[in-house]
Amino acid sequence: MLDDPKLDVRFPAGAHVPVEELLGELGGGLDVGDERVREFLSAFGRRLLRPALARRHPELGSLGFFLRPSELARTLEGLGTEHVRVPRGLVFHIPPANVDTVFVYSWALSALMGNRNIVRLSPRSGAVAEVILDTLHEALTDADPVIAATQRIVSYGRSDGITAALSAACDLRVVWGGDGTVREMRRHPLAPHARDLVFPDRSSFAVVRAAAWLCAPRAARVTVAEGFVNDTYWFDQAACSSPRTVFWVGAEGDCDAARADFCEHVARVVTVRGWGVDAAMAVEKRVSTYGLAADGLAESIEFRGNALANVTLAAAATAPRQWLGAGTFAHARLGSLAELVMLVERRDQTMTHFGFAKDELERLARELAGRGVDRMVPVGSALSFHRVWDGFDLPAEFTRLVTVIK
Amino acid sequence: MSVFSLAEREREAALASELAALTERHRQACPPYRRILDAIAARPPYERLVELPWLPVRLFKTHELRSVREDQVFRVLTSSGTTGQQPSRVYLDREAAAAQTRMLAATLREVLGERRLPMLIVDSRSVVRDPTLSARGAGVLGMMNFGRDHTFVLDDQGGVDAEAVEAFLARHGSERFLVFGFTFMVWLHLRGLGADLSQGVLIHSGGWKRLAEQAVDNAEFRRRLAAECGLSRIHNFYGMVEQIGTVFLEGPEGDGLYCPDFADVVIRDPESWQEAAVGEPGLIEVVSTLPTSYPGHVLLTEDLGVVRGVDDGHWPGKRFEVLGRLPRAEARGCSDTMGQG
Repeated sequence: MLDDPKLDVRFPAGAHVPVEELLGELGGGLDVGDERVREFLSAFGRRLLRPALARRHPELGSLGFFLRPSELARTLEGLGTEHVRVPRGLVFHIPPANVDTVFVYSWALSALMGNRNIVRLSPRSGAVAEVILDTLHEALTDADPVIAATQRIVSYGRSDGITAALSAACDLRVVWGGDGTVREMRRHPLAPHARDLVFPDRSSFAVVRAAAWLCAPRAARVTVAEGFVNDTYWFDQAACSSPRTVFWVGAEGDCDAARADFCEHVARVVTVRGWGVDAAMAVEKRVSTYGLAADGLAESIEFRGNALANVTLAAAATAPRQWLGAGTFAHARLGSLAELVMLVERRDQTMTHFGFAKDELERLARELAGRGVDRMVPVGSALSFHRVWDGFDLPAEFTRLVTVIK
Repeated sequence: MSVFSLAEREREAALASELAALTERHRQACPPYRRILDAIAARPPYERLVELPWLPVRLFKTHELRSVREDQVFRVLTSSGTTGQQPSRVYLDREAAAAQTRMLAATLREVLGERRLPMLIVDSRSVVRDPTLSARGAGVLGMMNFGRDHTFVLDDQGGVDAEAVEAFLARHGSERFLVFGFTFMVWLHLRGLGADLSQGVLIHSGGWKRLAEQAVDNAEFRRRLAAECGLSRIHNFYGMVEQIGTVFLEGPEGDGLYCPDFADVVIRDPESWQEAAVGEPGLIEVVSTLPTSYPGHVLLTEDLGVVRGVDDGHWPGKRFEVLGRLPRAEARGCSDTMGQG
């Protein structure tokens, strides 16, 4: 792509403008939790929840849910402080190109906190991003003009000039999308007072207590299997919070039995839902799993059709962090939950769990002491976005505190 | 002796036992290969070709797979991967290197004859001079062994060197000569030459994607080259560095690619992984007895193909067509923001 010094303004739909013009026209004037933003976001969220839309794009349903007035109110309630909370100013967001909804979560929370926002939407973004933009425009018709004056979603191709100008102008730069993007963005300096909020490459795993699985009623096991399939197949298991390894905790016999039953259930859900993978993905899975075997990490590989592959790891310590293709699960056994302390790495983000008590999980979190794992959520909730993500309290990150003492 | 002599039944019988033996030999000699076979529980007997365990060809990009000691490696071949990818690495000992050269020669002798022919190369000399030899350069260099009086059709700027071609034809135009080039280069540069190439034998390879974009298929390619420069002896071929020395050669009538006696193809349905019926497209698996120094004797490619017929063409055995490359799997992950821009 040629280095075009202009960008396309996609929300509010507009012109092809140079970056100076974009920055010049962006007004301020919002408060933290501004009523006009709340109204706009609620109206937008309501439109996303329309049954026809939510059926076609289930991820928009989750997003609409996130933007309900009660959710927005809850987000703001958590911010009470003796200090005066104020917006950061101008926030520049760089979301991933191929998880279409991430940009909305990041932007909506920032707007709710009263910031001016510029979101860089990839020119490669998918169909869902178009639906989102259309829906935003619908909601804009009834919105206060301050929304149009303070919020921008733009697209531009590879242009270091534009990225540099936006980086220099912003008070906070939010970078999603992996190590490569973070490194790439850090070549462009921020203003001295500004800071980065970055979301580099992450990987996630699931942990199941074998005895609890074996004791659970059939209906519960079916529900968990369904949740696990949602967690993993929705974004081809490439979302940072989709588990790649399943750790089985317990005695060997229990773990073998629980795993066998779990895999049966998952296979059934995959079949019933009609999840398939195309030939390219099927080959990808062979390349990656055979590679694990060649390296001595996989003891056995089992394919149940193309959609589901199970790898038995030679040792829990070698759990793969890289993407292995949609529906490819490594399995390993642990004697106790505490063994995870030795295995967890900084890049581990979400631990989905089944069969553990809250205090056990909290103890593990303390023992991990920040060396890894930012979220422990039940199986089935891996992809549910939360205002606390990757260990950051986003509403807090999107604001600053003013100390007032009398 | 012709390397296009075995009917499918005899070929399968001969190859299945030889490849089964090779599988066990590589299992002993190549620990990563052994670990793969163990993990997928692949065990003899392998009675039919389709029962042999295959490796995805891309593993040669991600792993070092060799069945000879490091000090026995005589040559390491690499392919230029697509951007951002590791190249494939293929390890040959003396024996495997000699066999691949010998069998490639035997295969091409079928259409070129015994003697080295004067050779016209539809490329520029710079592709073989570049110190970081491209796949194209390596292909040209390899083929140059089969010709003499090598004459390049393009000058170093990539323009047609009409004078060189004229002089070549003045010297050799009335006897049989060899023309070699990549399919797209041939299409681009040969037709406009206005030269009489009717004594030439064209060997070409390199994929049809760019020609397909121009709505040119093999039949059209052959028709136009015959009409516009008199080339009627045309042989496309299919081969890869991971099975170096094995080329699947197009028959004289252009009715498909044929397997030499020491090789075969299996088209696999990528859903069931069973052998696809004649006429049904699938992934191309290539088998060959030449890879003795690395476990590349049974490879699943990322190319789509279809068997058009068995023992019903110019040469015996399977007659197949390459339909194009399988697009690479792409995931909707979080780790991709700027990507390809």
